[in-house]
Amino acid sequence: MSDFPAAMAPTTDSLQHASAQAQALRVELRKAVIGQDQVIDDVLTALIAGGHVLLEGVPGLGKTLLVRALARCFGGDFARIQFTPDLMPSDVTGHAVYDLHTEQFKLRKGPLFTHLLLADEINRAPAKTQAALLEAMQERQVTLEGEALPIGQPFMVLATQNPIEQEGTYPLPEAELDRFMLKVRMDYPDAQQELDMVREVTRSSRADMLDVQPLRTVLQAQDVLQLQQIASELALDEQVLDYAVRLARATRTWPGLAIGAGPRASIALVRGARARALLRGGEFVTPDDIKGCALAVLRHRVRIAPELDIDGLEVDQVLKQLLDQIPAPRQ
Amino acid sequence: MRLSDASVVIRPRTAWEAMDLGVLMAREYRLLLMSSWALVSLPVFALLTALLWDHPSIALFVFWWLKPAFDRLPLYILSKALFGETPSIKQAVRHWPRLLKSQLLLSLTWRRLSLSRSFVLPVSQLEGLGGQARQQRLGVLLQRNAGAARWLTIIGVHLEIGLWFGCMAMFYLFIPDQVESDWDWQRLALAAGSDWLWLEHLTHAFYALILVFWEPIYIACGFSLYLNRRTVLEAWDLELVFRRLRQRLSSVAPLLLLVVGLMLIHASPQVMADDSNARTQLSTQAASQSVKTVLEQPPFKNPETVTRYRFGDEKPAAKNKAHGDGKLPAWLQSLLDSLNSNTFKHVGQGLEILLWSLVIGLLALLVWRYRDWLRAFVGRRPQRSPKIVKPAPAQLFGLELGIETLPEDIASTAEQLWPTQPREALGLLYRGLLSRLLHDYHLPLKSADTEGQVLERVHQLQQPHLLAFSDELTRHWQNLAYGHLLPPVSAQQKLCSDWRALFRSGAAQ
Repeated sequence: MSDFPAAMAPTTDSLQHASAQAQALRVELRKAVIGQDQVIDDVLTALIAGGHVLLEGVPGLGKTLLVRALARCFGGDFARIQFTPDLMPSDVTGHAVYDLHTEQFKLRKGPLFTHLLLADEINRAPAKTQAALLEAMQERQVTLEGEALPIGQPFMVLATQNPIEQEGTYPLPEAELDRFMLKVRMDYPDAQQELDMVREVTRSSRADMLDVQPLRTVLQAQDVLQLQQIASELALDEQVLDYAVRLARATRTWPGLAIGAGPRASIALVRGARARALLRGGEFVTPDDIKGCALAVLRHRVRIAPELDIDGLEVDQVLKQLLDQIPAPRQ
Repeated sequence: MRLSDASVVIRPRTAWEAMDLGVLMAREYRLLLMSSWALVSLPVFALLTALLWDHPSIALFVFWWLKPAFDRLPLYILSKALFGETPSIKQAVRHWPRLLKSQLLLSLTWRRLSLSRSFVLPVSQLEGLGGQARQQRLGVLLQRNAGAARWLTIIGVHLEIGLWFGCMAMFYLFIPDQVESDWDWQRLALAAGSDWLWLEHLTHAFYALILVFWEPIYIACGFSLYLNRRTVLEAWDLELVFRRLRQRLSSVAPLLLLVVGLMLIHASPQVMADDSNARTQLSTQAASQSVKTVLEQPPFKNPETVTRYRFGDEKPAAKNKAHGDGKLPAWLQSLLDSLNSNTFKHVGQGLEILLWSLVIGLLALLVWRYRDWLRAFVGRRPQRSPKIVKPAPAQLFGLELGIETLPEDIASTAEQLWPTQPREALGLLYRGLLSRLLHDYHLPLKSADTEGQVLERVHQLQQPHLLAFSDELTRHWQNLAYGHLLPPVSAQQKLCSDWRALFRSGAAQ
């Protein structure tokens, strides 16, 4: 048996502290967004893994609320862009303006320079505006007037889109979809949870939204960076790594999938699994962590075979079939 | 059988014309044919449906397979009606059981899938031939028109399917909008619960109704093809002409004979008188000479020059055979002889078997090669029968799980292993647990299940002791396997004693 290198493994204390912080954040978020525990876990996974999230759900499920609650619990900056058909790339990244007093051009940074960015209804803006996010999401910098400006860390994009209203929308291109670490589907809450939610919301002072003011700030931007650091150092067995890569590779040859996932999917699987392990309070990554985030990681990176699409099958069904057939690791 | 009584015009026709005649015949007796068919087949269909209510596909398949048994009735009616003895529905249906007696088993087994079924049915039913005689008869009959008979069956299959789909489409169009909008097609296709069995039976009933319409026509066409073939073979039309001639002339025949006789008597002396001189001058030799020259000319002899390739010198071999003194060595001769004999028949049969097995093997290989594809696109329907118990996998997650691969006393073996090989010891316990879950508790574990999913399944068993033990063992196992953390010594004792408490008592019960 080979032990993990001692330098790699974070100390138990810092691990427990980080895990407690993450769980406290989860508890706070669950107070605000009722009945979406799975979605909250996924969003936190992306936050800890340093990835971006694409939230998909019909209107009224609390997508924007979730992001606002997250911004509230986390002490960093928060910006929001409502994507519209006439939104220009410079509205996102920023632009140079002429200052009459100094008679010089001054750079005016766009809403992109923040910690937490909510790109609401991202598919309503045309492709060029969507592409303005590409550089920021991958390289965490923005090039304005030939000058590369770094974006502060941590940086996380939460984009929302609505799967039913497709008229006048611009579907995200594959390259941009691949930049999102997770695509999270929001579904209707259970009956009991919906009861609770309605009770809470109607008690709130705002018209139809739960008040996020009473939520306490659990984390500062610095803490998030530390969480990310600790998560990336979590112990990972070779077998588990192999499982993640096998999953991603299987999508490329799977008969029900026309296009498989690229290497970014394997990377996202492992990072997501590390974040989930931290969220769970574990000291190492298990295959369960990989499997737990596999659907969210893979569903926007593969394309279902046309025959199955015509048959009315969903990507999730095909992926579940795949997950049910790839052997899990054991030693 | 009196051909002169036939109600159709008997003359040689082309195959398609003959089938057209069959359609006409079916139209002529449509009421009788269809109602008798319906009287016989629909009760059988209803009975099958009632018996196999849970397996609609099997019911339809059995009904379809029984078609030759019903086919005999329309053929009986048509054969009677051809000579004007049209039976009533009651008579026909009452006669049906008697029709089934001959060769029913054969026609329901290996003759069932014959494409020229309707064409050859009259041979066994009307002529009553069987065995070798039938084979010879078919050999003669099938020399012509066999292709048309096969096409008839193929067209019939397509017509049945087309009409069937048409019926279903019509049924669908008649469903009111508000009922139809409630249907979830995907659920209908995938779940196919017992609520929808009646719908499946209904569509099958459409098929039975289609057969009431089509099957008599099919049989009539086959029968008319058969009649046409026999007309051509046995010159029925000429026989009819002669009979008619005889009938017409029977009254005037004596008079006619008298007139012809008188004319011959009057004419013959003149003919003989013309060349009497030439005849007397012929001597016997000259006559035989002239006969020979005539015989040497066409049409008695037609010499032809044929140029072809020939294998070696054939004549000496033949001569050798005749003379018996070997210019060729004996072994060559015997080889040549054996080439002509039946010895190589077996070799040929062997080769045939080899080639067929090659084809079958290739097909199997093809199916195996595309098994993933087939699994994804063909085998996507949910399994209907949960009764089929899958054999427990012998190997799961790379661990041997067969009972025989595990030691008799797992706890003791683990205790022995612990000081030296803790990893193997814990692995053994975990394997033992999985094996117990698979074999004793019949949990449907798959190799894709992670430890967490195995625990979830144990949770569903609702056995608190087992759950607590599995929980603890899984935790230690995960710590060791993925976290590389050794469990404390105290855990070893506890796990082993828990194992004994759990599975000893379980075994004792």
